Amino acid sequence: MQLSKLETLIAQDSKLLFTLTSYVLIFMIYANVSILQSSILGIVASSLYVLINATFLGHAFFGKEAAFFRFMLGLLSLVMLIGFVAWLALIIQNLNVTWFTLVLFVVATLSSLLNRRMKDRNANESAKPN
Amino acid sequence: MPMRAPSPTKFLRLIELLYLILIVLSFYLLFLSRTGEAHTVWEVLHPAFIPVFFIVTSLLVAILATSEKASYKLLLVIVHSILVHSLLSIIFPVGDLSGQQMVLGRTRLVYENAVLHGWPPWQVETVQSQIYQFFRGENFQAALSVVISRMCGVDILEIHLFLVPVLWGVFSPIAAYLTAHTLTKNEKLAVMSSLIISAFPYTIYFGAISVPNSLGFIFFFYALYFMLKNLESNDSKSKFLMLAFSFISLLSHYLTGIMSLSLLILFLAFKSYRSEKSPSSTAKASLLISFAFCSSLLPLSLIYLRFFRSGTFTAFTLDKLCQLPLEESVGLFFLGQLIYGFDLKTVFLVVVGPTVALIYLAHILYRSRSRKILSKAQISFLFAAFLLMLVDYRILKLLMEGLPLNEERLWVFRDFIAAPFVTLAIFGTCSSIHSVLKARSSPTVSSGSLKSLSKSNAIRVSTLLLVINIVTSMVLAGWITFSLTAAYPQVGPLQTTWYELEAVRYIEETTDEKYVVIGDIWTIFAGEVIVGIYNPRAYYFVEYDTRGITLFNKMREEPSPEVMIEAMNQTGTDTTVAYFIVTEPRLGTDEFNRVVSLTLENEQLRSEAVFIFGDGKLYVFSYRKQQGV
Repeated sequence: MQLSKLETLIAQDSKLLFTLTSYVLIFMIYANVSILQSSILGIVASSLYVLINATFLGHAFFGKEAAFFRFMLGLLSLVMLIGFVAWLALIIQNLNVTWFTLVLFVVATLSSLLNRRMKDRNANESAKPN
Repeated sequence: MPMRAPSPTKFLRLIELLYLILIVLSFYLLFLSRTGEAHTVWEVLHPAFIPVFFIVTSLLVAILATSEKASYKLLLVIVHSILVHSLLSIIFPVGDLSGQQMVLGRTRLVYENAVLHGWPPWQVETVQSQIYQFFRGENFQAALSVVISRMCGVDILEIHLFLVPVLWGVFSPIAAYLTAHTLTKNEKLAVMSSLIISAFPYTIYFGAISVPNSLGFIFFFYALYFMLKNLESNDSKSKFLMLAFSFISLLSHYLTGIMSLSLLILFLAFKSYRSEKSPSSTAKASLLISFAFCSSLLPLSLIYLRFFRSGTFTAFTLDKLCQLPLEESVGLFFLGQLIYGFDLKTVFLVVVGPTVALIYLAHILYRSRSRKILSKAQISFLFAAFLLMLVDYRILKLLMEGLPLNEERLWVFRDFIAAPFVTLAIFGTCSSIHSVLKARSSPTVSSGSLKSLSKSNAIRVSTLLLVINIVTSMVLAGWITFSLTAAYPQVGPLQTTWYELEAVRYIEETTDEKYVVIGDIWTIFAGEVIVGIYNPRAYYFVEYDTRGITLFNKMREEPSPEVMIEAMNQTGTDTTVAYFIVTEPRLGTDEFNRVVSLTLENEQLRSEAVFIFGDGKLYVFSYRKQQGV
């Protein structure tokens, strides 16, 4: 019950709260890679980043699926998106810390935009008279 | 005080708890088996692992037969699946030898920032080669591994080792579930299908090694699922996802990309065929032509790969058919090459599942002529896809030579399609047995109506049902355990040893200057996982680089500082230190002793530092370039 509430809260992303949280997490990951180099901090920050963005993508593409599949398919889409954007960065330039941070930023922005776009579309669809 | 019988839910929770405890025990047994010197996992695997694994799998099958929530059941299957695919990554310190270490060698280049201005870091002569370099699967995997590694602050070695076992373990059961659910709308059957995917040795093996092809298989599986979904619903979202997964499967590996493309074209042909209310003979003929075209895509693309990748000499040939005796041709036609020393039992394992699936598929389609069945379009499409795999495999096996990959990789595609139909066949058989029981035990065998039977009859029927359930669980668990034993190679070269890794790490940690290492291919594999390949600071020759092989042979025959200097000059950078590594188990004791004593006889090499690892099994000789040389 609590998990589904959290999922709804993230997917609603009111006042872009979770998108901004995602950006803060990217900054934390960047600081961790550049200075702290702590696995614990890295795993915690990445898990939160993954949770937020997988939920965004899950809602964007798999809104009609059951909660479990929505999250898991969102997670797979996130893996795909990260892989694709990172692949682009690699063939264009490289994947040093700066480019890596840029990859995370692009992925977070795309996930948030897709989530918002689908939310608007779903809202429009439900507002249509029968 | 009267004792109350535990409720079924409590009993189920207890079974689930027992299952989880045994899964943890299985992982613990794998960690206990961890070794730095073995050829195969079977040499060192804890003797209790297989019995515990069998019990765990039996429990899982029993849980899957209950009315537990599908998502909980899937979580349990996922944990089991990760266990099945983690043997190599947990037991060997750097995973399976060769393939995945080569990929890690190239990934390290990206991780260590040795790639600065786009891929590839070396000069490429033609535009086609450049395109090939952009789209080779290693790039996608390297990019993904490096990002995850940097995000978590964990070394690339650990991330690379577990990337595919975890992704495969998590996502392939879900894909199998979704595919089977789309076809049957039966949750229990779909969950069982997600476990049955682990009953195919080839899918277990490819899910255990972190190579681009394995990653591509995962995305292919989802591309296939979204094709089925689109056949059902025809919505734009599933169309987009089908295309996206196909594209990512192409980025992951050309084999999975081409197979996705073939199925996409076949899918379009199917859609156009279905759009006609009463298909004409022209529509039927065009469907057949599309099938032939899709079947030829893979063989033709392998031929034309030579335009993009130098050193590829794939061609059509009739030599294999002409030279082989008839019985061998027939054997190859049905079974394929028996690799990894596969014995008859393994052939049985590899062939029987897909054969059952094919027969059941044909049976469903035949039945559909007389009565309406659910998902006929999807089943027909999967039947065509299954046939396409079989045709392509035979073409590659019997009519082509110089292939850049082994044909048995196609079995993984075939097994993905086979899994739901094998499950359907099992369910069909079980329900037939239940029907027979129903007919023989009047009036019925349902637990509710057992009360209406006489005591002796009720006991007899309950025992029969219990025996059927236990036997089914044990047979399935036995099959999966047997597949696990067949999936991991029974013979193999000595895996990268702890002392090879220790030597490579020691060199890396203690050398401040740029250095080059002369060693055999096994040393190169060890070097790849620690510092990468062609690293300008810590240079290991790539596995197939003849310069590295020549230098190693020169050092074996006549060890001298001149050869070491030659190696330094070949790195293309201002390298000032060279190392020469020899290992006893790789060379053999006599040859090792000869090379070591010959090297020590050289006064200049003897006067430099010599390091010994693995209780004398590995020697590292060094040479520092003098000023002005």
